[in-house]
This record gives sequence, structure tokens and C-alpha cells, in this order.
Amino acid sequence: MPEKQHPANDHPPVDVVGRSLPRCDAADKALGNTKYAEDYFLPGMLYGKVLRSEHAAAKILSIDTRNAEKLSGVRAVMTAKDVPHNETITRFGQTHTVGGFEGLYRILADKKVRFMGEGVALVAADTPAIAEEAARLIRVDYQPLPGVFDPFEALKRGAHRVGEESSNLVCYYKVRQGDITEGFAASDVIVKNTYRVPFQEHAYIEPEAGLAWIDDDGVINIQVCTQVIEHYREIADVLGLSYNKVRVKGTWIGGGFGGKEDITVETYLALLTWKTKRPVKMAYSREESIICHGKRHPYIMTYKTGATREGKLMALEAKLVSDAGAYVYLSPWVLLYSTVGAAGPYKIPHVKIDARTVLTNNTFSSAFRGFGVPQVCFAYESQMDELAERLHLSPLELRRRNYLRKGEATATGYVLEHYAASPEAAEKALEALGEKTKSKSPAVKIGRGIGSSMTSYGRMVFLHDTSRSYVGMELDGSVTVRCGVQDLGGGQASSLAQIAAEILGVSMADTRVFIADTALTPIAGTTTATRQLYMSGNATSMAAKEVRKNLLDKAGEILGAEPGDLDLRDGIISVMNDPSRSVPLNTVVRACASSGISLFHIAQFNAPARELVDFKKGQGQVFPDFTFGTHAAEVAVDVETGKIDVLKLAACFDVGKAINPQAVEGQLEGGTIQGMGYALLEDVILDKGITLTPSFSEYLIPTSLDAVDVRCILIESGDGIGPFGAKGVGEPSLVSAAPALANAVRDAIGAGIPDLPLTRNAS
Amino acid sequence: MTQMEYAKPRSFKELDGIFESAKGPLRFIAGGTNVVPDLRAGTISPRLLVDLSGLKEMAYIREVKGEIAIGALSTISDILASRVICDKAPLLFQAARHLGSPLTRNRATIGGNLADASPAADTAPSLLAMGAMVHTRRRRGKERTIPLDRFFLGPNKTILAKDEIITRITFAKPKDPSRGRYLKLGLRNAMTISVASLAVSLEPEGSSFGGARIGLGAVAPTPVRAYLVEKKLASGAMDPKNIEACAQLITKEISPISDIRASADYRKRVVAVLFQRAIQAAVNGGTP
Ligand SMILES: Cc1cc2nc3c(=O)[nH]c(=O)nc-3n(C[C@H](O)[C@H](O)[C@H](O)COP(=O)(O)OP(=O)(O)OC[C@H]3O[C@@H](n4cnc5c(N)ncnc54)[C@H](O)[C@@H]3O)c2cc1C
Repeated sequence: MPEKQHPANDHPPVDVVGRSLPRCDAADKALGNTKYAEDYFLPGMLYGKVLRSEHAAAKILSIDTRNAEKLSGVRAVMTAKDVPHNETITRFGQTHTVGGFEGLYRILADKKVRFMGEGVALVAADTPAIAEEAARLIRVDYQPLPGVFDPFEALKRGAHRVGEESSNLVCYYKVRQGDITEGFAASDVIVKNTYRVPFQEHAYIEPEAGLAWIDDDGVINIQVCTQVIEHYREIADVLGLSYNKVRVKGTWIGGGFGGKEDITVETYLALLTWKTKRPVKMAYSREESIICHGKRHPYIMTYKTGATREGKLMALEAKLVSDAGAYVYLSPWVLLYSTVGAAGPYKIPHVKIDARTVLTNNTFSSAFRGFGVPQVCFAYESQMDELAERLHLSPLELRRRNYLRKGEATATGYVLEHYAASPEAAEKALEALGEKTKSKSPAVKIGRGIGSSMTSYGRMVFLHDTSRSYVGMELDGSVTVRCGVQDLGGGQASSLAQIAAEILGVSMADTRVFIADTALTPIAGTTTATRQLYMSGNATSMAAKEVRKNLLDKAGEILGAEPGDLDLRDGIISVMNDPSRSVPLNTVVRACASSGISLFHIAQFNAPARELVDFKKGQGQVFPDFTFGTHAAEVAVDVETGKIDVLKLAACFDVGKAINPQAVEGQLEGGTIQGMGYALLEDVILDKGITLTPSFSEYLIPTSLDAVDVRCILIESGDGIGPFGAKGVGEPSLVSAAPALANAVRDAIGAGIPDLPLTRNAS
Repeated sequence: MTQMEYAKPRSFKELDGIFESAKGPLRFIAGGTNVVPDLRAGTISPRLLVDLSGLKEMAYIREVKGEIAIGALSTISDILASRVICDKAPLLFQAARHLGSPLTRNRATIGGNLADASPAADTAPSLLAMGAMVHTRRRRGKERTIPLDRFFLGPNKTILAKDEIITRITFAKPKDPSRGRYLKLGLRNAMTISVASLAVSLEPEGSSFGGARIGLGAVAPTPVRAYLVEKKLASGAMDPKNIEACAQLITKEISPISDIRASADYRKRVVAVLFQRAIQAAVNGGTP
């Protein structure tokens, strides 16, 4: 493995990188040619269906499947007892073993159900209608249990136990920095509030779907829309098969946002195809999707922040409690992100944070774009605006006096090694709003707000994250990239093409990327944690550079020049100072081939690896690096009806280097609008664990008439640790949108609202 | 598996034939924007689905002798495209614009909107405010005419018999079309179910409100007329004091519920606001 783990800027971009080229997947998507997971069919395939619990908490007394089995066209009915390993203790998504993050992964409910929508039985049948009817014919005898639906209730002694453990507390993390008693004593102004944020649903365009079959070699193949093809190991564990007997092939995805990070249909499909020996397809309905997959965690957050008269932050005390729902899944990790991010992009000498996540009988919570950071960002940014008001400082000025800069330490004692763009980003975002809109009516108040954030990209450093990529040059001079990335629609595949094309001096059109196949593409890790451009971009860049080196060496021989003096672009290798001396790339490729010089390379990129932090003091490095940025918003609030109209939105982020500026803007716009939905509308409402908002008629997301053009400003500091100095922007783009809007509403009406969404009838 | 039969009559005669031979519960379907989701959700499970969309004689919008008639099969998009509605009954036009999305409006019919009897049905307040009549037909050509304010019985309940269809909706051409205002408050700007909606139609006589009519949506078990307010408006002067007093009264005339969209209290408050804004706009012209 190469020594250097941060491919530096030794190749300043010239032709391809940095341009808004059409993404390699764009034309087919625009024309409707792209196939998504539900679009695949195989001859003789069956349709799978999950019978789900209607209770949030109940004992299963008995399950009678006889009537379902008797129905003509039914090929398999399975319950927990038919699953070879129905329970595994999973270190969700870990390749490097660290303690404290294990969770129970139970395929089908056994003896008890913990949440409404939990899978209880599986059916495979000749048609979807028969499968549905069969599911209806399964008789489950439940004995309802009281359940517990509020994390504080769940923490009480004697509370209903959601799982089998003695307590509902999943984990408890702390940060201790300085001495808050001293910090508050030195503060002239102290602001204290309790904030509440709701469950949020991913609401991707494409509900979960997949198709599975057993191939000629006896390997179980699963073609599925997933953010993590690497779940093949967990699926194999469930079936008791070796890891090379399960293959997962990812499809193009119609949105993931974290909702396809956990296993969805894969294990069910594997079980049904394994049982029936026939291809099986499964696709969730929208309602099923909303009811059964993990949500963004609701948090209750008590924040106490102190500052001096001069506007210097002195102390922060935060207590966070999150609702993990009925199973652990990724809750410990999400909580860790919140804990580390709880103080925001600010320098605060005295910090005390206590964070807990708790099981309840609600729908489980798990990954969602931002991963625990949007919640705390709403709290700390609301605190900032209240402090600013009390200190008679503008929100921007108060922030300017406290933003962390490069070389300064965060609340967890990590000294920022790279450019921290907060001041610049905040000024530019606010400026982008332009002149303030004038109200046309006394009932309508105009307000403005900003929200700043610091969001990690790349996974936690104690996970020792890796990614691999293959880059090869074909004999005709075209380029092939093989990389196990999952493309969620964010341009993950296309960016790799752009990087390889740049380094190998060919056009995007001559570059082909094969993605997301555990059998054929090098494993590249999850498309989560804003890590793919950083991780797989680096791996691809490393591999492409090896190929480039071999090409230039050979060309040097042919041209009688030093390889270092050569330039490779547009399919021609020439001497930099004397372009008349050149040789076509094709000639060099053939020369390499006939002299046995390899024209492919598989590179592995290793993220910086650190030891696990201690959760009693929370000091140390948790993330490889951060993306800094600010959202700004202008709203009109009708004070007689409470209606909030968003007039303007701006997002300014330091993206390091925009590999494809248009794709980056796409991320910023999408993230900002999704954050706007979180601020103003979105709310999964549960009543004693029963989802009251199971469709898009109750669960409201913004429509095109609610959205505004997002003014995107890209700062390119070049100081990221991704390829060409890039940072990550997928998640950061959402994080601070909600507080910017909340602060704009505060500015308009002269009072802060501590709960999301900012509903007008909080009565 | 439960089987559902489907029939698509091309004439009233064929429809009568279907009634004669039908066994078990039947359900009409026009645009299907309510029926199809309900079927999928399993909240209805008719034995026979009778598709009315083949009864082409029920798709028209016309003005005859001062009366506007809208065939029950007219879609919301038809209403928006109609010169007659746009010029002579803009109050209905305003309401139609707020219903669903372009996709929904292309399928949704006015007959279906009324027959579904949602308290939040968008066309109802305007039609109430214009004093609309619902014309129906039962088997063997039995017809009746029902004033719209007696048509709704409760959420998703109407006065229609099982074998009775709406054929058309009529109302007298408003004397001054510019005096109608429809205001809808939803949780977002499109594709939204009303939290409260209100239509006013004024026919000022000198300095008095005269024939003011007010239709309300989403603030009672059915769309309703605000009769007490209408009376009070008409009995007083056309001044802010009277409007203010009526705004107070309107909150007493309604019986909203609290649901996941809004609280009853909120609905009461905003109806008063919508009322004042709509009246002012109707009196002074301009958009509220
Ligand atoms: C995405 C979406 C958004 C929507 N948004 C709105 C909205 O903003 N505002 C709103 O008011 N509604 C809305 N709706 C509801 C619906 O579109 C309307 O109620 C529509 O007008 C129903 O008309 P339809 O022709 O589709 O009715 P159908 O679904 O075909 O029928 C509805 C009911 O009326 C009965 N029926 C239909 N025609 C007749 C007839 N001629 N005689 C007797 N009974 C009849 C049917 O038996 C059924 O009970 C929305 C629906 C969807 C799916």
C-alpha cells in the first residue's frame, strides 16, 4: 500500500475536474431509461410480502400460517422459527471491531413485537395479490402490552422494557471540558432553553425494493436499492452461509438519505429465494415504507449557554435525550455525532455534555442525512440568536467573535488541522440574500436568520475506514473504473469518472464506471457519512495515478524525455515545453501492452485511524475532518394566521474543491430544501407507537411551490482531505437550514420557537 | 380473495340496467381520485364498481338564461379552462385553482368532489356561497334537485341514495362576479388539504351588504353556510365595525375539530382572519 494517504494537490486540475459536465448517469435518467430496483423482472419470479405487526408492543402468543399455506399460488410462508439465525448481534456497518456499538438484528419478531410495522412473517407467492391475501390469512394471536413511548418515561424505574435488556437506556456519552461552574460564573448573560425536534421521514422518491435469485453457482444474488452493499455479510450470517455465497448488486437509487443504510428488503428476499429456490421480488408500498424504516431521531435538548458582555462564549451545558425507537440500529453512532457536534463551530472554554439514547416502542430511529447533527445545530444556533439579542449584537457579529478557526481546539479537544471557513461562509450567505424584501401588509412581518454548522465528512476515525477502486486503461484508450460505490442519485459514480478522466487525460465520454457489485467491484464501503467522494475519490485518484505513471514512463521512453516533463491530455502525451514532440495515447497503450506493463491498478485508501475516544470525558479525534458553512434565510410571517412563506434561501459552504460544481450545487439545493421541510412541515406523528402519518397526504414534504431557488455559493479552499482538496457536502448541506429558518422566524415575530417543525398552531 | 366487478355504462339506460341486476354494495367512480386510494387502503370494498366516466352527456359547462350549469363529470381542469366560469363565476375558479395538483385536477370531477363530502372539499364553499343546487338522477329516471346546503350530512355522508347519481350542479349567475373571494389556508402552498377555507359572495345594495353569502370548509363536519353571520352582515352597515362583529360571530357558528393538521382553536382564530380579509377584498376589490 502506498505510504501517502492523502493524495495531495500534485496534479492541479486542468480539463475535466472542476467543470459542470453532464453527469454520466444524467441522460438516461432524464429519458426515463434508467432501471431502478423495482424495474427488474426474472422469468418465474415470485412476489414477496411481509406481514407486519399492527401493535407497537405485544406478546406473540401464537402464529397460525396454515390457511395462508393452503392458498393456491403460495410458495412459502416463513416465521421466526424458519430463519436459520433469526438473531444476530451486529456491529452495524463495522469492519473494525470497537465495543459499545452492537445491536440486536432480529429478522422476524419472535415471542414479542416491539413496534408497529415490525416484520412478523414472510410470504412468497405467484402474484402480489396472492401474496397479500396470504399475509392476511396468517393468524397472529397478540397479547397487547402497555409499551412505552416517551424516552423520559422509558428511563424511569419500572418502565415497560422494550427489549430483553434490563434497561431501556442504550448508551450514555459525556463531554467534559474545563469547568462549567467557573464558565457560568464568568458569564454576564446566560440563556437556557429546552428544544424538541420530531421524527423525520426520508421520503425518497423510490420506496425500498429488490429482486433475489440463486445463480448457477449456487450463490444467492440480491439486486437491491441500498446504500450498503456490504450487508452481504450480515445476510450470509442470517442464512448461515459463507460470505462468498451471497452477492449483493446495488442498483441506481432514487434517494437514500440514510434510510437505505440499514438492511431493508435484502434479508427477506434472501430467505424467500433460499426457501423456494426461485427468484423473488419485493417492493414496499409508500405506506409500508413510512411505517417500517428508521427515522431521524427525535431529541429533547436542554441547552444552557453563557457569554460575556463582549460576546465571548464562556460555557455550555447540554443535556440530550434521543428516542432510539424499538431497536438499537445506528442510535449509538448517531448519538455520538450529536455529542461531538453539540457545541457547534464555536470556541467555548467550558463545556459539559450529557447525551443518552433510549429505547421506546416507537418506530426505530436510525441514519438520516446529518446523522444527529441537525438536531443539535437547531439547538445551538437558536441559543446563539437569543444570546445575540440579549447582548445587542447582530447574530453575525456574535458568531464572528466565537467561530473556531484552524489551529483551535473543539469542545472534544481536537485541534482543527484544516481551514475553517465559518466567518467567510456566514458573511457570504447573508450577503447572498440581497436587499431585504419589504412587507406589503401590516400583518406580514419579514425576518432574516442564519445558521452555521460544522459537519464531519468521512466516518469516525476509530472505525479505520477504507475504500478500494480499480482503474484500468483499455487497449483502445478508453478508461474503466470499477468501484463498489452505491450511487444514491448524488453523482457518486460520475465524480469517479471525472477524477479518472482528468488524471488519465481522456474525456468523460471515454470513461466508464462500474459500481456496486460485491462480486465484481472492489469493496468501497458505504455511501453514507458524506464519505464516498472523499474515500472512493481518493482511492480512484490513487489508482489512476499509478496507471498514469506507467503510461508516462513508457511515453518518456518513446519520446526520449523525462516522464516528469510530460503532459497527458485529450488522448495525447506531449513534452510540456515542446508540444511538437508528442505521441498519441493509443500508441503508448499498445506499447505498454506488448511490453507487459500493467495498465490497471487497484488502490486502497485508508482514512486516518485513531483509537476509540473515552466516552466519560469525550476527548480526542472522532472525525477525519469537517465541512464548514452557513445557511441564510428570509421569511415572511403572517402574524394573523401564522403562515410562514420562505422568500429567500442561501447556502455557502467550503467544499474544498468542486469536482463538478453543478453536482455540488445540486447537493446544496436538495439538502437545503430537505432541511426546510424539517423546519416547517415534516413530522412523523405517532400515537402510542401507531403512525398517524403513513402517507404523503398526512406526512407533508415541501412541494415545488413551497421551495425557492437556493442561492448557492461555493468556497473552494482546496484544504479538504478528499481528491484535489475536496471536502464533502452531502450531509452538511442540510444541517443548518432549519435553524436559519427558525432564526428568521424569530427575527420576524420577535420570539423564538423551541420546537420543530415551526407549526403555527402550537396553541 | 374478494372479487370486485366493474361496469361502465354508456347511457342512463345502461346504468338503469346495471341497477336492476346489481347484487351487493356498489360504488360509483368518476375520476377515481378518492375512490382508488380508498380501494387501495381497503377502507371501501364494493362488490361492484360503476364507472360513470362513460356518461359523456354529464361533461359540460354552460350558461343558459342566467343560470350556470356544470355537468357532474366536468373535471377541475375543465372548470379552470372554462370561459364561462372564469368570467362569470370566478369564485369557483379561485377554488378550483387550489385543488390538488395539475395531475389531480385533470382527473378529479366536481361531482366526485361533492359526493365524497369531505369537510375540506375545495369546491364546496364557493358553490355554497353561490347558492348552488345539486341535480340528481335515480333508477328509471327519477330526478330531484337538492340545495347544496342540505346535501351534506356528515364527513363522507350525503343525502344521496345508493342508486342516485349527481348529474349536474347549477347556480344563478352571480350579479357581480368581481365580489367573490375564496381563501384557503393549508399547511403548504400546493397539494394541501384545507385547514380552513372560506368563500364570500357579496351583492351589495347601496351601503349595505345585502345578499352576502358565506361558505366555509374544514371547520365543521361538513362544508357549511354561515347563516347567522350572513344575517348580521346584511342587517348592519358596510363598515369595519360590522365586519369585526361578524368575525367574532363566525367563530361561534362553527364547530371545528382538532386533528393532525391543526387544533380546533387555531381553526377558529384563522377563520375570523380569513373572513375579514375576504370581505375587505370583496368590498374594495383586489386580492386579499
Ligand atoms: C393527490 C390528491 C390531492 C387532492 N387534493 C384535493 C384538494 O386539494 N381539495 C379537494 O377538495 N380534494 C382533493 N382531493 C380529493 C379529490 O381529488 C376530489 O375530492 C375530487 O374532486 C374527487 O373527484 P373524482 O372524480 O376523482 O371522484 P371519485 O374518486 O371518482 O369519487 C369520489 C366519491 O364520489 C362518488 N361519486 C363520484 N361521482 C359521482 C356522481 N356523479 N354521483 C354520485 N356519486 C359520485 C364516488 O362514488 C365516491 O364516493 C385530492 C385527491 C388526491 C388523490
